[in-house]
Amino acid sequence: MQQQNSAPDREVMIEATNVDVSFIIQHQGIRNMKDFIFSLGFKKPFEKKDVLRDINLTIYKGECFGLMGKNGSGKSTLLRAIAGIIPHHRGTIKLHGRIAPLLALGVGLEPEMTGIENIKLCSTLMGRSKKEINASMDQIISFSELSMNDMEMQVKRYSSGMLSRLAFSIAVGDIPEILIVDEALAVGDIGFQAKCATRINEIRQSGSTIVYVSHNFNEIKRICNRAACLSKGSVAMVGGVEEVANFYKSLF
Amino acid sequence: MKDEKIRLKKTKGYLELVTAVAIKNVSLRYKNSVFGFLWSLLTPLIYLLIFSFIFSHAFPDIENYPLFVLTGIIFWSFFSGSTIQIMNSVVESAGVLKSLNVPVIIFPLSALIAALINLGFSLCVFVLIMFFFGFQVSPATLVIFPAILLFSVFTFGLSLILCSFNVYFRDVGILWNTLTPALFYFTPVAYSYQLIPEQYQWIARLNPLFHYIGLVREILYYNRLPSLKLIIITTTMSLVLLGAGLFLFNKLRRGFFPNL
Repeated sequence: MQQQNSAPDREVMIEATNVDVSFIIQHQGIRNMKDFIFSLGFKKPFEKKDVLRDINLTIYKGECFGLMGKNGSGKSTLLRAIAGIIPHHRGTIKLHGRIAPLLALGVGLEPEMTGIENIKLCSTLMGRSKKEINASMDQIISFSELSMNDMEMQVKRYSSGMLSRLAFSIAVGDIPEILIVDEALAVGDIGFQAKCATRINEIRQSGSTIVYVSHNFNEIKRICNRAACLSKGSVAMVGGVEEVANFYKSLF
Repeated sequence: MKDEKIRLKKTKGYLELVTAVAIKNVSLRYKNSVFGFLWSLLTPLIYLLIFSFIFSHAFPDIENYPLFVLTGIIFWSFFSGSTIQIMNSVVESAGVLKSLNVPVIIFPLSALIAALINLGFSLCVFVLIMFFFGFQVSPATLVIFPAILLFSVFTFGLSLILCSFNVYFRDVGILWNTLTPALFYFTPVAYSYQLIPEQYQWIARLNPLFHYIGLVREILYYNRLPSLKLIIITTTMSLVLLGAGLFLFNKLRRGFFPNL
């Protein structure tokens, strides 16, 4: 059993207090402008849908924090809110370090551009400066195990495995202070998967903080120290990995 | 002091981001084609040919009709192209916006810059054609740069409005695509506004593009400085549209995510 209580001397990396996230979406049945115009005055065209309610979480430095929950319980939304991709409507999220979201692999990759160009573009989109990109370029290329020849090739000619290798390498190219991972690890062949797991470990050992979403108990147990289970948009349980996994199982 | 430094670094980061995406936009557009950016000149050239053939005789009052129509068409293509690209920029970047923490405004902004780069390239070629049709450079020609700035500020503001609504209802995009050709004929690009009966000219003047096309034509075709009145009108419209666009975009931005 892992120790679950916050030792007061540990440095806080992510602090979410009373966070609510809701989406304003078009009311059911209003999908285009015609519906919108005809609905004016009859029903409210937009409705608010609560996705996360009153989330309180504190994640400490060097911790690998697992997130579990059924489909649609708000795991990804919580990750996105932490990463600042989705605005939250109430509460505060404090981050004490630079965050690298690994939510979907391969976004931002341009099929028409070469591997090198894509590394530059995606890294820029991830908020790295030119200097940082140049510094981490070699590391990214060697981590991906793609040849220089592949790197000069347009990405649209890559196999899907090569594509995920490139994407993953870009994402973990430099060691971020906070890494958020959303079930993105099942990429590449067995060799590369093992390498990714090692890399995640490396990142953890270097003192970075990881938030990890997965449905796979074994994986969570293997790499996480602490976990939380979400249910219907609220935190149902926070604690040791074992307890939370058992709680999650009991939901079904 | 430290805050100032962080802000400077952030601004520099944004700048790098915008240029990277803009350069990507420009280079991607014609990457796989043999003639590259020359294709972007084809549409205005065809228009130029058609209009010169047909209307040179229909509008004998307009002296040097090819130059007249060319100065209009270059900037019309810029307007219609950039509004559509800026409008679609956010929707097209849905994947990135859903998984990376990137400020949304980056995408419309780099679409505008890409359109401006393209305009610069095509101007280089069109200037040659314009010389062929008797275009003359004078000190007044330099005023074209602030005029382009005014026009692109207006275009950006308008496109931001279209872009924001387009995220919620994709009809906006379709509507705008159908509307632009109509707007082309409503705007005196291929004809002179003096052709419009005088009692209806006020309607034509309600069209903002009337004034912007007039502005560039004053400079490039009539080879003179635009009147103070015209400058005031266009500057005001540009600032108002930019303000309205930024305001709306900021307001509606928070709801983009579930609609992307």
